[in-house]
Amino acid sequence: MLDYINAPGRIYDIQGYAVHDGPGIRTTVYTKGCPLRCLWCHSPESQRRDFELGYLPVKCLGADICEDDCIKACPEGAISRDKPVPAPDGSGDIQKIIIDRAKCTGCMKCAEACICEALYTAGWDTTVDEVYNRVMKDVSFFADGGGITISGGEAMAQFDFTLNLAKRLKDSGIHICLDTTGFAPTAHFEEIMPYIDLFLYDIKHMDPIMHKKLTGTDNEIILKNARFLAEHGAALQIRFPIIPRLNDQETNIRKTAEFCASLGESVKLVQLLPYHKAGRSKYDRLGWHYRLRRVEPPDEDFMQKTLELFQGMGLNAQIH
Amino acid sequence: MTNFDYPISERIQALKEKRLRINKDLRLNFERNRIITEYYKEHPNEYPILKRAGFLYTWLTTREINIDDDDIFLGDAGPHCRTLHFDIEQCSQQWMRGCFGDTDERFKAAWQVPGSVWVDDEDRKWILEAADFWKTNDIASTAMGLFPEEFTARMAPFKDFLNGSYPGHFTPNYERAVTVSFGECKKVAQQRLEEIRNHTTTDNVRSELFYRAYIKVCDGMIAMSKRYAEGCRKKAEQTADAQRKAELLKMADSCDWIMEHPARNLWEGIQSMFFYQYLLTADGTHWADSPGLIDSFLGPLAENDIARGELTREQAQDMFDALVLHFGDQIIMFPKPNNDQLIEAHNSGKTMFDLQGGMQNIAAGSLITIGGMRPDGSGDYNIATEMVLLAYYRLRVAEPSLALRINKGTPDRIWEIAVECSKRLGGIPQFNNDDVVIPAMLKRGVPIEDARRYSVFGCVEPAISGKEWSMGANCGAFGAGNSPIGVLQYIIHGNKDPMSGREGDLPCKKLYEYDSFEEFQAEFERQCKHYIDEMARMYHFAALVFNTAWPVLSASMMTAGCLESGKDVTWGGATYNGTGSMIGAVATVGDSLYVIKKLCFDDKTVSARDLYDAICANWVGFEKLRQTILHAVTHYGNDDDGPDSLVEWFTNLWVDYYNSRPGVNNGTNNCGALDLYWVGGGKRQWATPDGRKTGDPLSISSDPRQDCVKNGPLSYVKSVAKMPWVKLRCGGAINVRLDGNSVKSEDARSKVRKLIETYFKLGGLQCHFTVADTEVMRAAQKHPEDYQDLIVRIAGFSAYFTHLSFDDQENYIQRLELGV
Repeated sequence: MLDYINAPGRIYDIQGYAVHDGPGIRTTVYTKGCPLRCLWCHSPESQRRDFELGYLPVKCLGADICEDDCIKACPEGAISRDKPVPAPDGSGDIQKIIIDRAKCTGCMKCAEACICEALYTAGWDTTVDEVYNRVMKDVSFFADGGGITISGGEAMAQFDFTLNLAKRLKDSGIHICLDTTGFAPTAHFEEIMPYIDLFLYDIKHMDPIMHKKLTGTDNEIILKNARFLAEHGAALQIRFPIIPRLNDQETNIRKTAEFCASLGESVKLVQLLPYHKAGRSKYDRLGWHYRLRRVEPPDEDFMQKTLELFQGMGLNAQIH
Repeated sequence: MTNFDYPISERIQALKEKRLRINKDLRLNFERNRIITEYYKEHPNEYPILKRAGFLYTWLTTREINIDDDDIFLGDAGPHCRTLHFDIEQCSQQWMRGCFGDTDERFKAAWQVPGSVWVDDEDRKWILEAADFWKTNDIASTAMGLFPEEFTARMAPFKDFLNGSYPGHFTPNYERAVTVSFGECKKVAQQRLEEIRNHTTTDNVRSELFYRAYIKVCDGMIAMSKRYAEGCRKKAEQTADAQRKAELLKMADSCDWIMEHPARNLWEGIQSMFFYQYLLTADGTHWADSPGLIDSFLGPLAENDIARGELTREQAQDMFDALVLHFGDQIIMFPKPNNDQLIEAHNSGKTMFDLQGGMQNIAAGSLITIGGMRPDGSGDYNIATEMVLLAYYRLRVAEPSLALRINKGTPDRIWEIAVECSKRLGGIPQFNNDDVVIPAMLKRGVPIEDARRYSVFGCVEPAISGKEWSMGANCGAFGAGNSPIGVLQYIIHGNKDPMSGREGDLPCKKLYEYDSFEEFQAEFERQCKHYIDEMARMYHFAALVFNTAWPVLSASMMTAGCLESGKDVTWGGATYNGTGSMIGAVATVGDSLYVIKKLCFDDKTVSARDLYDAICANWVGFEKLRQTILHAVTHYGNDDDGPDSLVEWFTNLWVDYYNSRPGVNNGTNNCGALDLYWVGGGKRQWATPDGRKTGDPLSISSDPRQDCVKNGPLSYVKSVAKMPWVKLRCGGAINVRLDGNSVKSEDARSKVRKLIETYFKLGGLQCHFTVADTEVMRAAQKHPEDYQDLIVRIAGFSAYFTHLSFDDQENYIQRLELGV
């Protein structure tokens, strides 16, 4: 019985007041690693199972102050001083750093050495017990429908951890949402289903070829799992991100709505998520290229029409 | 989602725009100051309370009656709409002579250029002559004549700056002025006077003088009301517009009635409030004069008018809109800018209004409270609660401030409007938790029926509405008071304030000389208690200044207990008495204590000597240590018992001891947690162990440092809930910052409400929230003219962003940005 609380997991954040991740006030655990590579992904640090080196230049105080701590710490010589820029307090010029990402092996020694947290490691290893103790600090906020959301990355990709965390929380009577891409073995969904109060389930494209183009994976298993959950009485909240030109074609929208409607009463709510650029700065921090530079958020009229289409099919839908 | 943007009538829109115009062209109230100066000069030997009555009566019967063509409610406290008040008996000699005795050239640059508050040559000459008279007759002279030597010696260097601020900071009993009236109160006073006359004793002889003064002011108030009636009739004669003519004649009838009799309808109720407000203002009590639970006594009048068909809902809303706009017209010059500041402001295109609004809420702590409970414990919410909230929401005004009382009876609709209002106007309303404030009042010994009728004044201070003389925290105006941050500096630096070099009262060790953290704590405790004793003692002398020579008759006219006991509020006449004192910089002190404990004593990773040297060097050469402190040591605000328990420890220590000291007029001492001057105050504080540099802002009130909050709003709120709120009965302010993205969605209203409700269940006393949108603020810095309505919560009050000084704007934005 006590075994499962030590189940290891790798996460990259725990956030209180995560108001976009299900009903009520929630605290969300974000697991690291995802089988999908959606072009619009707003948390790039969640994609790989490996730790990521993040760099937030605004926090860097300049290499003079720490006497080149990160530069000295790097065994690959990947970090060097940048050209001088004016210090924010007007005290003269400072030299921040540049990272040669090609040389970086991800050993994280620079992040350990950095005193001002400008360099940081995205992700850490933890256990079910540790996460449980942290999130239960927020329990007083969970009354009336709030609770814990396990999100990702793809939480199902760390199945043991996610399952055991869900079990542990269920024992304490916590309302649990699982935020998932649906890309995982059906057997896993079957096993975890009794512990999940609400699945936040993403549908990104109905066409298998387009789905593969946009996310790197086929959608067959995703649609299959959705149907499986619906048929077995799970509660679903479908989330449909609307990305102009990528998945906002009328046929795709219609098909998505039809698919949601076909799942019947299991679908409690469909949330239409207009594309936003909030995640863009995170790519810079990782030194990654953001591929949707020219995409703009959809306009309100379009969102409204889309909403009406969903509602016209008898679905409880909202723009979120 | 329900949309609450109900239309604003053209008339109200015009009144709002008029105020924006006037803000650029403020004028000072010389009228009142001429009247008081003449009266006090001519009656040097009149007994203080009779002298005050004589002055007020003269003012009420001779002041200019001003009725503007567009007035919905009549008149102003000064000769013009939004007259800027300064009360000459409270002005320091330093300020008067510095401003008006300056060279001609500098005087003109400060007071006679476009955009300045125009003071003509005659006024200038007059004020300098008046200054000669007040030099030996003002409040500060009374204070210097009775303060013990140790106080005067300490204050000697500041004597010229002394600003004998009149006690404001209370909730005048507007309800009694509206629902009972001066005329009815006068009858009681006459009866009591008769009784005393037949049995004069040593104990009641002063009460006879009180009642004589009281009756005189009642007569004056009735006379002023009738003068307004006359003014309305005259205006009506000159008015061609039939509708306005009828309105003026109706107002005239009402003015003949009110003051002598209780208000019969909503208009009369609100107009009665204003006449009383003018009296309070003339008496110089407008520092945080707050009208109490106005919906409670205006709501029934409004409901009755609507039921009888005398008012439509729209007309009633117009009246509440006009009430909010006009109540905020009571503006005062505080702090008073000197010529250097004025000239600099004018050179950078700013006005007196910008200067005032940047330093202080210009309505000077006036605060309206709505909602709450009836004496029997049922929820007290009505049509006026909603209309007052809607007035703020639609008109986008920040002044006066607004407090909403929250309890189980708070209707869903009121919650919804309040959350929407907060999203739009940073910090309006603030939310006050009845489940904490009422028990806090019970602990003071207030009976439950009265405790349920508390209202909030000033910034956040709860008091028993209309029944309490709460000397606020402003006895401190005389320079009393020390603070936990001051004590911390002393015990680190061996009884010396490193910034000023001044020695404290109690010799002690330096940081590296303590053998244990417990010894350090014991010294902290010893010194705190000493300075609290000094402060509490000082408050008694400050109160004696007013008891002796400066009665606050306008407050005593209505405050429950005074008419009944025949005593002025300053003689202990009010039913309840409270003396407030505030602690601030809670996070700076708490985090500093934790850094010392953890690094120097628990982990021993840094020697106390190194930490001491680093602080003394203002971290120069110790940046690595400073960064370690900022990033590797957990700060208060992350729901971590390490730092949080030290915050709990020192606040409990301070609060318990201050609250236990004997209060003024045998009332209670009430500690609170609020600080308005963390930027200015920070400039006077040396570096602190929490990593703060010399001169940097202190933490705000009891808020954690935003830049060290890493776990989001839930942990933040949980940390803050550990403060001893039920003992902090002078209130406190907590600012919860929410990301703009988190309040946009459809269910955001209910989530924000849940957050507040949970904080209150955890024991929180008050909170307000700000939706941070730094991009909007950056834009407002560039194009202030397009962002006149942008309101942000500062700590104890909300202010127009564009009126803040550049420093304060930057500080505000940085606090938000670093929290990301």
